[in-house]
Amino acid sequence: MQIFPLHPFRPEGDIPALRQQVRDLVASHEANWPVELRANCWFSFDEEFSKAMGRAGLLGMTWPKQYGGHERTLLERYVVLEELLAIGAPAGLHWIADRQTGPLLLRYGTESQREKYLPGMARGEVYACIGLSEPGSGSDLASVRTSAKKTNEGWRINGQKVWTSGAHKSHAALTLLRTEEGSERQAGLSQMMIDLDTPGITIRPIIDMTGSHHFNEIWFEDVLLPHDALVGEEGNGWKQVVAELALERSGPERYLSSHMLLVALIDAVGPEPDAPTAQLIGRLTAEMWTLRQMSMSTIAKLAAGEDPVVEAAIVKDLGNAYEQALPRMVQAAVDADLSGKSDLSRLLTWILVASPSFSLRGGTPEVLRGIIAKGLGLR
Amino acid sequence: MSDNRTLLTDMAAGLFADLSSKPFAEAWPQVAEAGFSTLLVPEDAGGFGGDWGDVLAVLRLAGLNALAAPLAEPVIAHWLLAGAGIAAPEGLISIAAPGQLVPYGRHAAAVVHVESGTLSLYHADACTFDEGLSPAGEPWDAVSFTAAAAATAACDVDLLALGAFARVAQASGALEAAFTLAIDHVNTRVQFGRALAKFQAVQQAMAEFSEEAAAVDASAAACAAALDYGDASFEIAAAKLRMGLAVDRAVPIAHRMHGAIGFTIEYALNHLTRRLMGWRSEFGGDAFWAERLGRRVAGLGGHGLWREMAARTDRLVG
Repeated sequence: MQIFPLHPFRPEGDIPALRQQVRDLVASHEANWPVELRANCWFSFDEEFSKAMGRAGLLGMTWPKQYGGHERTLLERYVVLEELLAIGAPAGLHWIADRQTGPLLLRYGTESQREKYLPGMARGEVYACIGLSEPGSGSDLASVRTSAKKTNEGWRINGQKVWTSGAHKSHAALTLLRTEEGSERQAGLSQMMIDLDTPGITIRPIIDMTGSHHFNEIWFEDVLLPHDALVGEEGNGWKQVVAELALERSGPERYLSSHMLLVALIDAVGPEPDAPTAQLIGRLTAEMWTLRQMSMSTIAKLAAGEDPVVEAAIVKDLGNAYEQALPRMVQAAVDADLSGKSDLSRLLTWILVASPSFSLRGGTPEVLRGIIAKGLGLR
Repeated sequence: MSDNRTLLTDMAAGLFADLSSKPFAEAWPQVAEAGFSTLLVPEDAGGFGGDWGDVLAVLRLAGLNALAAPLAEPVIAHWLLAGAGIAAPEGLISIAAPGQLVPYGRHAAAVVHVESGTLSLYHADACTFDEGLSPAGEPWDAVSFTAAAAATAACDVDLLALGAFARVAQASGALEAAFTLAIDHVNTRVQFGRALAKFQAVQQAMAEFSEEAAAVDASAAACAAALDYGDASFEIAAAKLRMGLAVDRAVPIAHRMHGAIGFTIEYALNHLTRRLMGWRSEFGGDAFWAERLGRRVAGLGGHGLWREMAARTDRLVG
């Protein structure tokens, strides 16, 4: 049994031209980006850049034109993503809507939901977040308790979500709710698209250990949603969320979060490094190159209509391990002043402190290895 | 992919499984008889007319079955000779990359050596071997050339890199075989009243093992595609280095899963893991490839690294 048969990455169209389009767009915006904004850049926000991506036709790339999309292929979209990450473009504002929420609405949403949200998402003007975790429900997502009660006027929502990235910048939250009273575990859950300006919703910041505001708590107090806030089938929420997580785990963002530090290291040591530094660069390059092959193969399998759930978990686990080890290896090898003003110092300090988050978001190594073990028939 | 890939792999899978515990003296004649040596030689020159993807598929099966016979070496040697227009002598032809031991040197009828842009074919009577053994007990011999080459030709092939690719390909198979042994063991071995596979700690370790096997598979396939394109210098450096890392991480897990059972000479695991540990050092070890790749990347500059990587996969599509 070959664990990871390679699917060839064979996109249609002029791929070098597409890469150049992204690089040119970045070149016309990057003057105002501090290095910290370019690190871990799919968690960095630049509204002007997100809108420019939309104008350039680089958001909602695979969606139908009737919803503002561009009917391009998954592989072309992948090329755009990896270019953004490798060059350090702050793409966080639109990331979730483009990656996850939009595709989910296309798959499960009603016609009116698609018309309401997708064109704005494709323009880079409407942003989304994902309401999953709760105070008592982290890795064990099936234990969510925030409830939606069906009434004559609509759905009544009560409860609390936590660790919701980007909620304070988002227009809507695709939220997992318990719609069947007294239901247990995976049963009785549904997804709803909740406009965050609905009365009764309170969003509070949670400042993370880098000092940044990404996380939020969302409180729902007797929030009234229209009946058509339901996305997909009532009671089918668990299945829909699992499909969504597969989209979340398979992308190039799972190994490139620290890439700007490798770029800075290479530039700092110049074209003729000493042997140990050359070896460090070689080792990091080898891991990154391999992860790219694996990530491209995984998206190619997805594009072929197959479900690479084990491959996606493998790429994410290995990728997170690499992007977390990168700052530690650079720190161990380079005599860096962590309070220094050079790009290398600033990036190293920033990514070192941010890196514990890399293996939390989208599933810890333990969760991912559990998925892999299941795929191997061990559990 | 060559049209005959399935035919080829079916034949190789059957033969190598039969030969898997046979010593060199029994295994090599059958490998030679099956004609694998001319895998890369064009059909109009009397060969199989295969591509590097075929080579990967066959070497992977050799690694998977811990084949105790040369395969990569004669395949590469015959390809080099055919490319140089030099007639291949009868019998086993091995390769001598600069500074490297010659696998099965003492058994070879001839040796192909490439250094500084020149390919040289030496017959056995022009070679003196200082005999040695690989960690798996295979004859790995240091060669000195004591008489003139039988033929020479200009050659810009990096023989060290081709050898490194071969070891990556073999390692991808050996890792799969070791992984399969470990899966079977943890599924059947009962301790504390249940199969080892039911313990979460065991599941986590096996998942980690699978990731390493996957990384080598993916990098080997990418190398074959680049070789078929005509330039795999970047890819092979990265893949050989990644293979070293995979051996570093996966071999200890394979043995941990098996306990003392896996450490015996009778049990099949050692034939795989001793080879994997040896291959890590052959045709350039971690430090060699890391430095070579690192210097190349340093010359590309920070953003140049990504641009080079992207261009190297885009060229396969265009």
